[in-house]
Amino acid sequence: MILQSVLIVVLLVGILSPASQSLRFELQGHTKCIAEDINSNSMSVGKYHVVNPNEDHPLPDSHKLTVRVTSSHGNSFHSADNVETGQFAFTATEEGDYMACFWASDHSPQITITVDFDWRTGVHAKDWSNVAKKGQVDVMELELKKLYDTVTYIHEEMFYLREREEEMQELNQATTSKMFWLSFLSLFLCLSVAGLQFWHLKTFFEKKKLI
Amino acid sequence: MEKRWGKMWALMGLLLLNWVSKVSSLSVTVNDVECMYEYVLYEGDTVSGNFVVVDHDIFWNSDHPGIDFTVTSPGGNTVHNLKGTSGDKFEFKAPRSGMYKFCFHNPYSTPETVSFYIHVGHIPTEHDLAKDEHLDPINVKIAELREALESVTAEQKYLKARDARHRNTNESTRKRVIGYTVGEYILLALASALQVIYIRRLFSKSFAYNRV
Repeated sequence: MILQSVLIVVLLVGILSPASQSLRFELQGHTKCIAEDINSNSMSVGKYHVVNPNEDHPLPDSHKLTVRVTSSHGNSFHSADNVETGQFAFTATEEGDYMACFWASDHSPQITITVDFDWRTGVHAKDWSNVAKKGQVDVMELELKKLYDTVTYIHEEMFYLREREEEMQELNQATTSKMFWLSFLSLFLCLSVAGLQFWHLKTFFEKKKLI
Repeated sequence: MEKRWGKMWALMGLLLLNWVSKVSSLSVTVNDVECMYEYVLYEGDTVSGNFVVVDHDIFWNSDHPGIDFTVTSPGGNTVHNLKGTSGDKFEFKAPRSGMYKFCFHNPYSTPETVSFYIHVGHIPTEHDLAKDEHLDPINVKIAELREALESVTAEQKYLKARDARHRNTNESTRKRVIGYTVGEYILLALASALQVIYIRRLFSKSFAYNRV
């Protein structure tokens, strides 16, 4: 099925973005995958539906999707065949890229399906309307709560960026030290090859009684 | 009863406000043209964002020359245009509300991954304040605060994407360094062996008989 698609375009959704992503894209015969890097133990909520090009008529039968949500290790977290709309929610047990792949159930390339996909992870997976209803919370307080959450997220992101920078520094350090040792090795190798050549030719000529 | 209804409307109004400031962050492997649509609810909203080309295989060839980025308004005219960049920030005021199209165009055949982030931000103006009596001036301040925080978030995403790009470059450099060095050793040993063989042949009997 997937082999048939002429062009596989992989959409990798931005790294660790806790923000809501409601985006619209078009499917034209081939598969489109959206991936997102999710931290372990964070909630992830996704909703998708096919956009009806003309409002009056119902959606034609050919405009149906097949959806698969898989983790980077291969475990499937959601799958749906021949649907127009759906949603999924899971808590990310493994850290890494989670892929949500869409393709048209009916593989004719002429059909262009517009899909509206809303994927929220982390902070924005929180359902704020429920929080508001539950505690009779003042609107202002809700807004400030949201801001507080955003600031906390920014703080965590800074830690993550710092870690990544440290990893990269270690990588660079390792590369530099490797290059250092490799240059010594290359000098040693060059000298040894030259020495070997010299010794071999000397014995050769001595054997030939030329020296 | 009145107070409760008032609170509900205010809550809905604020939820609507929050819904407006949508964010969208994703990476695209652009083979030719890849377009995303984002809905801008109010005219005059600030649409800001950034994108970074995260090179996949820059193994044996030089840096990718870059991709083109175009933003088209619902009316059809180009609002923003960037050519041949490997990553940039952008910001513009939406001239009208509607569905905006963000397109990446890859003029070369190698597929490239682009990581991008778009944020549509709305700050209620005097006009909005006048229309809806449940909107306090303090909501304007809160919206401004939220927009400032969103700009920090956008900057972080940009940094993260650039970090990923640098990481790819570093990994590829490391692999290339080791590859080239080992190749160099093999070539050296080969050249020296060939030299020895040639000199031996020069002094071998059969060759010597044919010497001029």
